[in-house]
Amino acid sequence: MRIKNIGASLFLILFGLLYGFLTTRLPERTLPNTPGPPFVPMILTVFLLVLSGAWFFKSLKLDTDEPVFSEKTEHLFYPAAGLGLFLITVILLPWLGFLVSGILFFAGLMVVSGERRPLWVIAFSIAVPVVLFYLFREGFLILLPPGSLLD
Amino acid sequence: MNPDIYQGFMQSTMPTSLIGTAIGSLLGLTVGMIPGMTISAGIIIVLPLTFVLEPAISISLLLGLYAGGMMGGSFSAILLNIPGTPSASATALDGHPMAMRGEAGLALGTSIISSFAGGIFSFACLYFIAPSLAELALQFRAPDLFSLVFFGMTVICSFATKSLIKGLLSATIGLILVTIGQDPIMGNPRFTFGDPNMLSGIHFLTAMIGLFAIPQLMDNLIDIVKRGGSFHADSHFGKIIPSLADFRAMRVPAAIGAVIGTFIGILPGAGGPIAAFISYDYAKKMSDHPDKFGTGTIEGIAAPEAANNAVTGGALIPMMTLGIPGDPVTAILIGALLVHGLAPGPLLFMEQADFAYTIIFSFFWANIFTLIVALSSLRLLVKVLATPKSILLPTIALLCIIGSYSLRNSFFDVYVMFFFGLLGISMQWLRIPVVPLLLALVLGKQLEEHLRVSLTASRGDVTVFFTSPFSVFFLCLSVVSIAWPFISEKRKKRAVAVQALK
Repeated sequence: MRIKNIGASLFLILFGLLYGFLTTRLPERTLPNTPGPPFVPMILTVFLLVLSGAWFFKSLKLDTDEPVFSEKTEHLFYPAAGLGLFLITVILLPWLGFLVSGILFFAGLMVVSGERRPLWVIAFSIAVPVVLFYLFREGFLILLPPGSLLD
Repeated sequence: MNPDIYQGFMQSTMPTSLIGTAIGSLLGLTVGMIPGMTISAGIIIVLPLTFVLEPAISISLLLGLYAGGMMGGSFSAILLNIPGTPSASATALDGHPMAMRGEAGLALGTSIISSFAGGIFSFACLYFIAPSLAELALQFRAPDLFSLVFFGMTVICSFATKSLIKGLLSATIGLILVTIGQDPIMGNPRFTFGDPNMLSGIHFLTAMIGLFAIPQLMDNLIDIVKRGGSFHADSHFGKIIPSLADFRAMRVPAAIGAVIGTFIGILPGAGGPIAAFISYDYAKKMSDHPDKFGTGTIEGIAAPEAANNAVTGGALIPMMTLGIPGDPVTAILIGALLVHGLAPGPLLFMEQADFAYTIIFSFFWANIFTLIVALSSLRLLVKVLATPKSILLPTIALLCIIGSYSLRNSFFDVYVMFFFGLLGISMQWLRIPVVPLLLALVLGKQLEEHLRVSLTASRGDVTVFFTSPFSVFFLCLSVVSIAWPFISEKRKKRAVAVQALK
């Protein structure tokens, strides 16, 4: 807990400094004694720096050091794979569209979730995205993206 | 009869609204009872629908889901000793021992009826308190509104978190994210880096999907590795309806739970789990046989179940009258209303009073339908526990993408949703609470607007916040809520020291 807290608080301090720097470049209002666009961001910069600093010093005082991950490393493989799949899908979505990327994503996530029967994976990964695609497209008139590669 | 009340009642009883409520209740009971699938997951499933449905139907659907989800959590707590939602944790203490004794049906029946009683009591409070509170809130000026929103944020940082620093940090990060986009007073772009997508800022529903759904998906994947992908519970659990003697036994604890739950629901951030445990504790103290608590007694189920369902109506009071959400679900309700151009707050009762009453009566129907659906299809619902998570998780993940995309038909929102998912995972890893951040995303713009309007009107004089009694009252409450964790920690330390001396 100590290491990750110190790391995170230092990151937030750096982020606070960057945010403060960007705030100073915002346009000022000309009317005297009235708050302009940078007013609230400036207050938030101070808040963030003070709180991150307090967290940093509090973390330094912690004497016990827990492991960085509360779960066993082998337990983290599947969530990491799931997250990776999610990222790839989000990136490919504009090109492949909802239907194709949805089918691939669904199949991948089913396997990551422990499904090992090929027939089930194929059947559900096609059926669910297709049903959702047409349900939203035709039923609720939400035009899900078809994908620029398939246009 | 007040025409707005009549109109609201009629709108809530339209067949489409009632169907929406029934579907919401069924879905809520289903997601609530599956361990790892919280009410937020259910909301994400229906969220894209709420953008296209009529506001009255959307609200009916979401309220049905809210009430159903709260009740559903107790089913798995009783049958599997795994609470479906955090609010059902206290129910497992007595519910599961009863199930182990072969009285699962009675435990489930007690939970259903107590939940209904708690929900109906909180509906009555909502019906009678909300309009008067809204009338009072109409007198608030910009400084009062700033202090009120500020109080809402401090109280959630203080009560909803274990560490005040982390709670305040979470809220500050949320407020920083709100500053992206056009500034609310002058319309100047801030932190947009020239990207037109950033001009309209971050929609908090997109953020909410990422913050809640993605970490939950990851948790479920870890859970599958550890425990397997589905749960099995026996659906032959005997009689469900309690006897007259059982009704007598659950009367007082259910009443305690209903009152405590409604009161705690009004406080932003406190929520169902706290209400359930406090009610359980009070019911135990007031019982003639407190030693039986924890061994499987219906009083131990009635109190927490009435409390966690009463929280729902309680949480709707500040949401509807002041525009302050008490928990993530009410925050989503605000978002669903805003999408339709309806802003919860005192003006809702003035400008669209009929719709305000539609919400109130929809909540009443949500409780009625949850009771009917739960009692009539309990045995079928329990079978849902066996649904493999390898199908549920990818479906929810796909709905996250649909939900975030369909909000503004933009890929940018899908990227934002994923970013917030990563942020949610990081915050969970660092044990930083997510709820203050969500509240900051909902209230941040208002907070800045009221602050800047107040200071502009007073020519930069900060004493404007100390001249109005309402503002002073809320600021004092804010100070108390910030100081409270320090006071309670000192009291705990003193109690430990006294015990050590003994």
